[in-house]
Formats: sequence, structure tokens, C-alpha cells
Amino acid sequence: MLAYSLKRILQLIVTTLGVVTLVFFTLRLIPGDAASAMAGDTLSGEALQRLREQMGLSRPLGEQYFSYLRGLLSFKLGETITTGLSISSLLLSAIPITLTIALATITLALSIAVPLGTMAAFMAHKGYRTLDNLITGAAMLADLMPSFWTALVFLLLFSLTLGIFPASGTISLEDPRAFLMRLALPVLVLSVTQIAAMARITRTAVLEVLSEDYIRTARSMGWSELQVLFRHALKNAALPIVTIVGLSFGSLLNGTVIVEFIFTIPGIGSLLVYGINSRDYQLVQTLIVFYALIFVTVNFVTDLVYKKLDPRVQF
Amino acid sequence: MTFMPKIDDAVLQVRDMHTHFNTDTGVVKAVNGVSFDLRRGERIAIVGESGSGKSAMAMSLIRLLAFPGKVVSGEIRIAGKDITRLTERELNGIRGKDVGTVFQDPMSSLDPVMRVGDQMIPPIMRHLEIGQKEAQAIAIEWLDKVGIPDAKQRIKAYPFEMSGGMRQRVMIAMALSCNPRLIIADEPTTALDVTIQAQIVELLKNLTAETGAAMLFITHDLGLVARFANKVGVMYAGRLVEFGPATDIFADPRHPYTQSLLRTIPDTTVAKRDRLLQIPGFPPDMKMPMVGCSFRERCAAAHDYCKSSAPDLEFRTENHYAACWLPAGLDGGKTAEDDAPKETAKSASVAPPPRQDVLEINDLHKHFVKKSMLPWAEPRTLRAVNGVSLRLNRGETLGIVGESGCGKSTVARMLLGLEQPTAGQIYIAGAAQMVFQDPYSSFNPKMKVFNIIEEPLVVTRKGTRAERAEKVRSLVTQVGLDQSYLDRYPSQLSGGQRQRIGVARALALNPSVVVADEPTSALDVSVRAQIINLLCDLKEQLGISFVFISHDLLTVRYISDHIAVMYLGEVVEYGPAAHVFDDPAHPYTRALLDAIPSPDPAREANRKIQLISGELPSPLSIQTGCAFASRCPKVMAKCRESKPPIKAFSKQREAACHLVD
Repeated sequence: MLAYSLKRILQLIVTTLGVVTLVFFTLRLIPGDAASAMAGDTLSGEALQRLREQMGLSRPLGEQYFSYLRGLLSFKLGETITTGLSISSLLLSAIPITLTIALATITLALSIAVPLGTMAAFMAHKGYRTLDNLITGAAMLADLMPSFWTALVFLLLFSLTLGIFPASGTISLEDPRAFLMRLALPVLVLSVTQIAAMARITRTAVLEVLSEDYIRTARSMGWSELQVLFRHALKNAALPIVTIVGLSFGSLLNGTVIVEFIFTIPGIGSLLVYGINSRDYQLVQTLIVFYALIFVTVNFVTDLVYKKLDPRVQF
Repeated sequence: MTFMPKIDDAVLQVRDMHTHFNTDTGVVKAVNGVSFDLRRGERIAIVGESGSGKSAMAMSLIRLLAFPGKVVSGEIRIAGKDITRLTERELNGIRGKDVGTVFQDPMSSLDPVMRVGDQMIPPIMRHLEIGQKEAQAIAIEWLDKVGIPDAKQRIKAYPFEMSGGMRQRVMIAMALSCNPRLIIADEPTTALDVTIQAQIVELLKNLTAETGAAMLFITHDLGLVARFANKVGVMYAGRLVEFGPATDIFADPRHPYTQSLLRTIPDTTVAKRDRLLQIPGFPPDMKMPMVGCSFRERCAAAHDYCKSSAPDLEFRTENHYAACWLPAGLDGGKTAEDDAPKETAKSASVAPPPRQDVLEINDLHKHFVKKSMLPWAEPRTLRAVNGVSLRLNRGETLGIVGESGCGKSTVARMLLGLEQPTAGQIYIAGAAQMVFQDPYSSFNPKMKVFNIIEEPLVVTRKGTRAERAEKVRSLVTQVGLDQSYLDRYPSQLSGGQRQRIGVARALALNPSVVVADEPTSALDVSVRAQIINLLCDLKEQLGISFVFISHDLLTVRYISDHIAVMYLGEVVEYGPAAHVFDDPAHPYTRALLDAIPSPDPAREANRKIQLISGELPSPLSIQTGCAFASRCPKVMAKCRESKPPIKAFSKQREAACHLVD
């Protein structure tokens, strides 16, 4: 376990460093730099050069790279090029919003998808195919709906027609009720795909476990069907479910960019869209590093949970 | 159809039970009217080929059939209750409490993510209505009883931390923990090594004698039946075709199927060389409606009236019943298919080959080194093969036996060059080819039989397309199949036919040595005999040498000229097959032979057997003395200090033991 954790932490550091390096140099391959983006058409020749020097862009690339690394390590992320705001304070206000959306989505999805998938698996195992087909079919349909489309449909339905959730408005942690009401729609939209994916995985995993020999052993000892399902089957099926939750975090972050943009929510996703549109390299590269870091951490945690769930896992 | 008197101490009464599986392609009638009684303390063995419905029958008894299986009619009485009429909830009160079940594969029958205690204790609490503490004490007591060392600690272990034999002991402890009246054991030792199998059978026998529980034991191993059971039921096509006391059934079998089954087993006591009897044909398709006797297609004594009506189980001698129109089965009519060796020109064409080695192995070693991820931790060495020297004459068969983990398969892999030896040499005059264990998974399912056999020729670029086709056709005839099989896919063939294809593929490159690694262990007894006969024929016709690896000692004895017994990567005994079997020199060989039950209840009853205790030590540990010292019944101080080298003690025989001089 120790050897494994050490190895994984080392991998985590190397991966993150790789992402930082890749992002840094890729962004500098793109024609036109931050200075010219900032200046637009207003400055020419000499003035632009002065601006570059001012922004540290005329220094050798290696030097810029190392000073950027130093900044990252001490969480001195600098300022956005275009607006001059502190990136760290921007991040600090955006992270809670996006993380709330992501975690709420996962929680909601898990609490609906796992019982649904388990039920489908149980029905399939017992030969009641109708309910199983219904659930599986619905999941497939939901999986086919792109989130920008569901976002618009939900917006029309829940905000404009039914008026349950607000479609716009300020977001602040000081008013938790308003905060949650405002985030409800994006969470619902994102959950649709997540539920579909997780329910399908749960069904497959539980169905497979239900035909295992040890399930028959449990039945032979007099456990009722429900006890077999919850004591034995779900526990063993948890492994593939955890894997899919870990992996789906990536697509979930992807989704937040879209829904934050559609519902005008000032999260990391909106920040990223803004950064790209205004060619704010400083901001974009920091955000990409941040996304990579989340993703790598989630994978790391998934592996540790794995070990916790399955005593057989050997490293 | 009550053919047995009702007796008060009957634990189980089954009357005309029918079990069907409603599949998409039709109704599989797995059990077709089975009736029998089981009394307190009785041990009944149900024997039959795969597909005979024996497992479906046993699972029907507690309605533990997987979907879409269902008991459609009949009566099953356990403890006075009719199981077929109980609700699911009432059933759960009987399962585990009145009926304990032991399953076949201990590796997969325990929940892998739950500690042993967590699987054992809650059912005890529920069924015996006691508290956690007392239940735990009972669980520990049972684990102790079934021979789990240090039960108090091991109850906290996960199944994966135990060996297969230990897990099966846990299964047994669990099945017996609520003092059931009936124990159902579905092939409880099939997945285990012979030595462990013998221990488990002893254990089950003693425990049932102690508790007075009745036991229903499913197996296809007739030797085990002789050792274990006092009653036998023979199943064929979902029906009992013969039923009676074990001694009667073995001494005087009446149904042609039982008679044939008993003749398919190689006999160790008489001189070999007779061909094994093989039962022709296949069991009937259970989806088809059955008219007449289901065995008639494979029965040598079948008459016209067998086609029109099926015989019921009828009284033969005291308590002995058989379902056949002929009172004495085959013995009354014609003899079974007399498959005498085809005396073609082979004896004339193949002159007795000159004695010469086709294979020589010198001091072969294979060590696997496993490095830890931590740089400071010592790498661990697994000594799979540790100094093996063997030789094989042209046209002879060398049998290698030993428990799993003794290194016999690693030797086979090195013979074929699939592994590189760590040290030592292998000389092969010519080429070596392999026949694999599992004919179901060793072929590409998307390739036709023709291409499967042709593949080695294509890979080695032998001949033109026409020449290869010619060769493939002659090969397939040689292994006893019709050329029409060449157009089929492996999934369209039976297990025995597939293994024939495996043999044909191995012969494609005219090898001088064929290595067969457990070629018959995945097959049913009747089919096993066919493959063994085929290998014997090929040996005689082609002068090929075989290395035959198996844990089935009867088969090895039957087919081999020489036998090497392996233990922990070393050969501990080597010699001519008959000598090694009749007068084993090494205590391990003796123990292995003692562990095999012989298909004769009379002999089993009088046999003094010395079972070795314990299991194979880890090949990771390094021993200074004899590798077998930890389990040897005759161990001396000297054995723990110095390792006995393998040395010749007579003209033809070698052994590695301090006691042998």
C-alpha cells in the first residue's frame, strides 16, 4: 500500500508537470501573443515591444517557463492580461461554484442511477424483462441527448414555462437558498447524462455479480433476495461503479463549461470561455493546469477507494 | 411411483420431480421424474455425465435454480414440509438451517469482499436465534472442526487469503454451522488436488457420521463414490436409471449405462493394455420430446421395444433398482461395443523402434523473480522448477504427475520454448508440439476446423496450398473424424471432437514429441476414454513420443511407460509406470496413490490409507532439507537437515528420499 501510494503520488506529480509544460509551450506556438492581443490595433512597433518587455514576454522562453513554474508552486498566479485582475482571487470565487455543481451532480446521479440500475439488473436476473427493457431504453435515450440541447429544453420548461427555477440572477454564497436555486438547473441538466451512464454500468455490474457462485452460496444459507442484493451483490458491483464515477468526472467538467455558459454562471467554465475569447494566455494556462490537477486527483482518490472496497487489489 | 417403503426417519423424500428450463429456443427438460428417499446418516452419490441433470436435480431440492429453471411438478419433502409449496420466505428458513449446501468451486463460492466471519456469523444468528457472541463462538468451533488452523484468527481473513482446500473447508463449516439434517454437496472436490480431495472426503464422511446428517453427493468420479457413498443413484437424461446400495451397484451393475461407465475407468490392479471401453454417441438433446428409452442410441443391447416405450425403475435385488427392459443389462444381451484395437497393418509396418532418446532434460531450472516497487525491498524468487532431469525414448510416453503448483506445467512450457529456462538444457530430437487442456478455449472460435489444423503449416510455410489441404485431410482422418468436420466451426463440435482437433493440430508438423498438458481433464469420463485410446493408437502407429501431464493418476498409469512424480519443482521419483504404481518408493508417491479412491467399495472399505496432512508449502520459501519434510509421515531429523538427491536404487528406478537406498 505504501509503495503503491508513493508510486501514484510520483506519477501524479509527473503528470501535472507534463500538463503544465505542454500547455505553456503549446500556447506560445500559436501566432500572436498576449501583448498583441491586448493591444489590438492601437499600438504599433515600438510601443508593442515596450508592452512586451513590461509583461515579461521578451525574456527567453526558458526563463519565462521557470518563473511561471515558481509562480504556480507558490500560488502566485499573476494577473489576467486583459483586465489585470488577480487570477488567484478569480479562481477562488469560481471554484466553489463549479465544484458545487459537479459534486451535486454526482451525488444526485448516484442516488438515482444506482437504485435504478440495481432494480433493472434484478428484474433481468429474475426474467422480468419488461421493466428492465424500459429502464435500459430510457437510459439509452437520455444518453443520446446532448447537454446543450437538454439545457435549452430545461430552461424553457422549468424557468420560462413553469417558473420553478430562475434562469438568471446573481450568485453569491451569502444567500444559500438563492445560490442553490440558481445552480439547480445546471445540476439537473448535467445529471441526465450521468444518470444514464451510471445506471447502465450499475445494471451490467450487478447483473454479472448476481450470476456469481457466491451469490448462490448466500441464497443457500437462507438470505432473502433483498439481503443478497444489498449485502453481497451491490458491494461487489461497487468496483466498476466507482471506476465509472471517477472517469465520468472528466466528461462532467466538460459539461460544466457548456451549462455555465448557457446559464451564465460565473464558474471555472465561464472563466475559461472568457479567457479563450480574449486570448488571455495567463488565465487559460492556469485554468487548464487546474482542470488537469482535478482530474489526476480524482483518479488517485478512485484508486484508493478501490483498495478500500476490494481487499484483493494488490499493488 | 413409490417404490420404497415410507420410513419415519426419512430426511428427504422426492416423488416424481420434474424440473424444466424455459429458454428462448425451447423447454429444456432437465429432470424428468426423479423419486428417491434419503434417511438419516445415509450418504447417497448421484453420478452421471455433464448434462445428465444431476446438478439441476440437486438444486431443485431447495429450489435454488437459476432463472429460467423451475420445478414444475412433483413433491419434495424435507423435514415433513413440501418444498414445492413453500413461499420464498419459508424457504429461506429452511435453506442453511435444515439443508446445508457445499458447492463445486471453492475459489468462486465465497464472497470475495467479505471476511469469512461476516459470511458465517449472520446466518447462524438468524437460524439458531442466538446473539452475535455465541454465533461467533459456534463459527470458530466449526472452523476448528473442519481443520482450519488458528481458527480464531482466520475467521477474520478474506477468502482470497486462503488456498482452495482451505476455502472448501470454510464452505463446509458454513454449510454445517446450523446443524442441517441434509447436506447437498455438488461436486465438492472436483476443483481440488487429489491429496486435498482425499482430506475433504474424509472430513465430510466423519462430520456426517458425527452429526447424523444425511448427505446427497454429486460427482462424476466413480472412485469417489466407492470411497464415500453407501447408496448410488445413476442419472441419465434427467432420470434415475439405476439406484441401490453402493456395493451392489459396483459389484453387479444392471443398467447398460452404469455397466459402460464402470468399464471406462482405467483399472490399476490388473495389467493394462486392453483398450478402454468408450461409450459411443452423445447424450440426447433435452429439448426434444423423448419417446422410448433415452439411452437406446448408445446402448449395445437396445431392442426394438426400447424405441417405443421407456422402462421404469424396477426392482432387481434387495433395494437395487434399474430402469432397463433387460434384467441384467448388457450382460444379458450382446456385449458393449467391442472396440478392439484395429489390427491393421500397423504392427507389421512399424518395426520395434530402436531405443534412443528423443528428449533429454538436464538439471532444468526455472525461477521467477518478482521485484518489489520499493527499491530497498528484497526481490522474491519463486522456484517453479528446481533441477529436473528426465529423458524419454522414442515411441514411449512419459507421465508427469504432481499436485498443482509442483511445476509440471512450467516444464511443459519450457519443452515448447514458451519459457526460457533459468539454467539447464533441453535436447529434443525433432520438434515438440502441444495438446492443450481446455478444448473449449484453445481454438479461435472464428476459424474453421480446416484452418485451425492448417495453421501450423501456414506459419512454417510448409508446402503448397494443395499439399497442405491434402495433409489436413489425412490428419483429420487420422484422429478419427470425418472430413466433413473440416468446414465446421469449433462451437459446432463436442468436447471430445474438439480435443481430437487439438491432437490433429499438434500432429501437423510431424513432431517427434507431443506434450499433452491435462488433455482429458475438461472431458466427461466416456469421452476421456476416447481421447486416451486415440493417443495410444497414435503412439503405436506413428512412433511419436508423448509427455503426458496430469493429476489423474489412473489415466497416467494407463497411458505411460515411465512416470516422473514431481513435488515443489523437483522430481522425487522416476521409474516404469507399473513399478511406481505397484511399489511406490517415495512417501509422497505413496501418499498420492493412497489419495486416489478406487472404483470398488469393497476394496475401499478395507483399504488402510495414510493421508498426508497439510498443503503444498509456498515455493517462495527456501528449504534446507527435503522439500516434502513438512508433510511426510515418515520424516526423520536427517530430512530437515539435508536434502536427499535423486539417485537410482534399482536398475530402472530413481527416488529422492533418505529412506530409499
